[in-house]
Amino acid sequence: MEQWQQTLMKIAMAVQRRHRVLMVSDFFYPNFGGVENHLYYLSQCLLELGHKVVVMTHAYGTRTGVRYMTGGLKVYYVPWKPFLMQNTLPTIYGTFPIVRTILIREKISVVHGHQAFSTLCHEALMHARIMGYKVVFTDHSLYGFADVGSIHMNKVLQFTLSDVNQAICVSHTSKENTVLRSGLPPEKVFMIPNAVDAAMFKPAETRLSREEIVIVVISRLVYRKGADLLVEVIPEVCRLYPNVRFIIGGDGPKRVRLEEMREKNSLQDRVEMLGAVPHVQVRSVLIRGHIFLNSSLTEAFCIAILEAACCGLLTVSTRVGGVPEVLPEDIIVLAEPVPNDMVQAIGKAIRLLPKIDPQVMHDRMKSLYSWHDVARRTELVYDCALSCSDENLLVRLSRYFACGVWAGKLFCLVMTLDYLLWHLLELWQPSKDIEEVPDIASESLHEEMPWSVETEAI
Amino acid sequence: MEGSPPRPRWRKVAYGGMQPGYDDNYTDESFLEAMVMNSNVVKRDLLKVMRDSVSISQYLCVVALVVCVWTYTLGSIIDEKLLLSLDAVLLGLGFLVLLLTERRLSLPLLSKYFLNIGFFICGLYVLAPLFHTLTRSISSDSIWALTVSLLIVHLFLHDYSGSIIRPPGAPNNPTLTSNISLNASIVASVLIASRLPSRLHVFAIMLFSLQVFIFGPLVIHCLKQYSVKAHLWFSFTLTCSTLAIIFPINRLVFVIFLGLLLFVTVVCPYWLIRMQEYKFEIEGPWDEAKLCFDITE
Repeated sequence: MEQWQQTLMKIAMAVQRRHRVLMVSDFFYPNFGGVENHLYYLSQCLLELGHKVVVMTHAYGTRTGVRYMTGGLKVYYVPWKPFLMQNTLPTIYGTFPIVRTILIREKISVVHGHQAFSTLCHEALMHARIMGYKVVFTDHSLYGFADVGSIHMNKVLQFTLSDVNQAICVSHTSKENTVLRSGLPPEKVFMIPNAVDAAMFKPAETRLSREEIVIVVISRLVYRKGADLLVEVIPEVCRLYPNVRFIIGGDGPKRVRLEEMREKNSLQDRVEMLGAVPHVQVRSVLIRGHIFLNSSLTEAFCIAILEAACCGLLTVSTRVGGVPEVLPEDIIVLAEPVPNDMVQAIGKAIRLLPKIDPQVMHDRMKSLYSWHDVARRTELVYDCALSCSDENLLVRLSRYFACGVWAGKLFCLVMTLDYLLWHLLELWQPSKDIEEVPDIASESLHEEMPWSVETEAI
Repeated sequence: MEGSPPRPRWRKVAYGGMQPGYDDNYTDESFLEAMVMNSNVVKRDLLKVMRDSVSISQYLCVVALVVCVWTYTLGSIIDEKLLLSLDAVLLGLGFLVLLLTERRLSLPLLSKYFLNIGFFICGLYVLAPLFHTLTRSISSDSIWALTVSLLIVHLFLHDYSGSIIRPPGAPNNPTLTSNISLNASIVASVLIASRLPSRLHVFAIMLFSLQVFIFGPLVIHCLKQYSVKAHLWFSFTLTCSTLAIIFPINRLVFVIFLGLLLFVTVVCPYWLIRMQEYKFEIEGPWDEAKLCFDITE
């Protein structure tokens, strides 16, 4: 009898601990990148842990409405068109009705916003806070303090973060940056890194010969990714090591410069330029090389070097942002973002190469990073957020007020209006009139109604 | 707590899952260790800033002098012959200063200068009748209002650190703002010239204004490069003579101009020094790395 009661208690506890999470970001599949990847894998692993996860993003082309992805992950493609770099037009209040409907329909308990550039994320978090939901925010990027753009961006971030329950950053450097930018107490900011899907990034079956050493670069060819450094480094490396070849994957405005460099130094047979590489083909490019070169000028975490290391490549990278934290010292060679230093680092990597066994490195990466670990740690953050006490509007307004002489008053005004709008919406469409969605277990979703749902895998 | 094993040291790494004994929101003592504050701030000295501000007050005087010549010409106090001889004297003096101060000046370059100025004067002479009737249909009030605003634009955008006509061997190209500034001053001269009674007047005043606005900064720049002492003495004489010329025209303008000069050379430098206290610059590993070489597109 007692045992039965205990089991019941355990089940009750488990049910209580089950979170109902709404992930919000402008960046999601079918777009590709670090944030999109993070959102997808985190959601999948949280679903596996038994939580309910719903994703909200903006419409991509004709892709609007509700879609289901692998594992019954429900995605709301809200019909707001992006206007700049996949961001929706910031309307502040425009998204409130739909955010509110989704929150009530899905009986959400925690709202988790991703990426500081995402306007949809900022708006959704604001509305969720007004409605009294617990919110968590993940910052995926680094930002300086000097130029006009970042000063305004930081103010917006401060606005959102001044009232979040918990924040997550992807590296310790990113945590320092976020704390400085937003003025959050450091205890509220968690460090949970990205991870890599080891099954997708296996090393080549046969080991490459080391007669010819292939250096792979896969990145967007833009200024921030250090394409100009590559222009300086590649000819020098080719001059010093006659058995080195380069494979460059990626496209961007700096591609012309790289091609020019190739012409000027007659390196057509030693530098192969692939153009943009779709994410599914990244592994097939990576396993053609021995060394992975990352030349970024700023990077919060850098998933690319993680994927490369997982494929068993030795990494050479610039020592910027969170990069030094990502890999153990013995499988990465760091260099200052100076051409000479990078050439030396590549030389060091070439000398280290005989000691590297791709399979051993892959197994090691598997033990160092996993999305399941990330999901479990994120779960703890949700627990933490839920245990925060509820505060009334006045207490929160005072926190907004402290944001700045002018900004503080403006933020308070924005929040007060939002509060009024919320009550107006309650009058117009009372929350009890909004139909709640029944929960469908992920297994039954596949078995029972395979004809009615579109299941898509990344 | 003797029995418990000492917990391993926290490391600033992202790999390997949650570090045993430390939560994810653990903040180490090394937190923000790499942050550097105000590393690029230059300590400024009041006297040096004041000395640098002399360039600005000097140029204010130059513009004020040009406006004085304009008013005297419009009031027929200066006639065209005097104006033409003034042009010739200024041109001669300018070349003299260039010859004395600029070491890189060679004969071919000098002949190129002469040729250009020859073309310039001929062009101006041919265009003078056009300028003369250009704004006949516009009232004088509008012309004055426009001229004043153009001169203010000119003064705000003027490149006080150099000159738009580069001395030989100077690397940078002039910026957009300094180009706008120069154009504003030229339009202002054209507007004023179009109010004058004869074509010769127009030619003389245009030549005078353009000499000052285009070649003046170059001469001043060369003089400053050559010797700071000469530059300071020149500024001092210029300021005194400007004040002396303005005084008979209008007492109020004299007082305002004196106030402006004091504001530029005393109050502004003092402000700048005081504002340094509020400087708050943060740098750290999160900043975008700067490339140490020039990108040649």
